[in-house]
Amino acid sequence: MATNTDSVELVGDAVVGNVARAALFAALTGAFAFVSFPNPISPVPVSLQVLGVFLAGIFLGPVWGGASIALYLVAGAAGAPIFAGGQAGLGPLFGYTGGFLWSYPVAAALVGVAVHGTSELRDPAEVGLGRLVGGMVLGTVVIYTLGTLGFSIVQDVGLVEAFVVSALAFVPFEAVKIAAAVGVVRSDAAAAE
Amino acid sequence: MLTYRPGDSLAHRLDPRTKLLVQAAFAVAAFAHTTPRGLAVFTVLTAGFLAAGRVSPVDSLRGFAPALPFVVLAPLVSVVTVSPPGVDLGAAVDPALASYRVLLVLLVSAVYLRTTPVRDSRAAVERLVPGKAGRFFGVGVALVFRFFPVLLADLRRVREASAARLGDQRSLRDRIRIVGTAGVRRAFARSDRLALALRARCFAWNPTLPDLRFSRRDYPVLAFGLLLVASVFV
Repeated sequence: MATNTDSVELVGDAVVGNVARAALFAALTGAFAFVSFPNPISPVPVSLQVLGVFLAGIFLGPVWGGASIALYLVAGAAGAPIFAGGQAGLGPLFGYTGGFLWSYPVAAALVGVAVHGTSELRDPAEVGLGRLVGGMVLGTVVIYTLGTLGFSIVQDVGLVEAFVVSALAFVPFEAVKIAAAVGVVRSDAAAAE
Repeated sequence: MLTYRPGDSLAHRLDPRTKLLVQAAFAVAAFAHTTPRGLAVFTVLTAGFLAAGRVSPVDSLRGFAPALPFVVLAPLVSVVTVSPPGVDLGAAVDPALASYRVLLVLLVSAVYLRTTPVRDSRAAVERLVPGKAGRFFGVGVALVFRFFPVLLADLRRVREASAARLGDQRSLRDRIRIVGTAGVRRAFARSDRLALALRARCFAWNPTLPDLRFSRRDYPVLAFGLLLVASVFV
């Protein structure tokens, strides 16, 4: 076993906190993939990963929110069963869900920028409703655009068919998730931390 | 769920980096050659990979069950034409080939999942991604494996407690809000304790990584991966 004999390069205090939060939000997004509600218009249930993507952007900001969701993808590729329905591995990243998965870090970073701007992080509970909802709507647009494109390329079908099969039955629920995310941000319980 | 199972097959003994690279090469090559002849060759290769890891194809497909409806649906939807309204069977050929290709890629990634322990995956990530980003992803992968089941149990308890109080009668928005709020609260509480523990243990950018070494049997497999990538340009 090779032993590292260089002097120890400690991770700075602020970064330790951010690494821990990024890892926990990645794990939370993975756990959300298992929380599913029946979908009245499709046999595939609605799961909450996208809520995890929104919340990572809102609570961790553009940089660490994006990093957290990128970590979600890496951990899933390395074998953690955290993609939709407990899937894992490189397969889903190259499969029809690929477009959706690759869009998540971008969406989280965008939500982060919309909520916090590019300088310092703010308290999400004090951010205006317009910014919160606008950021999440923007994130949703990015997720479904890249997701539909990915599905269309991987499955070799037209964009319309791709949208009908992969996205149409899920779009209405994004509005519910956005409303719920606003509720999470505004609730005293989350703000207490 | 597809998780690691101990064993001594060829795939178990390969370096995880080799397996990651060959998987990616396979996916890229399968995308470049989505023809009946190309996919016939890739079917044989997939069978070879499954045999090398002694992984059952039925088991693997079961692990990817949530993907299967979409794989079947995409060619079916292409059959229907809107203007003029009708059915065009020929239009389903390319999407069907594409679906089959996705299936092969999923099967090959199942071999990795069955034959690679988390510790090796983490070490591979830390070596493949350069610099501090690699360290972040390496540590992060280990932490996600550790905390994902814990948070999942947290969420499950919240949903059970909520259901016991007739929470499942509330609107969808309220139910999502309750699970979301509890999830965020638990994630922050656990990350604070984790950060404290990491600081107390001198969390460093340069830890001693688990040993990974290419052995003699890795080189032919790596060369094969390069060949797959090169085939894209043929």
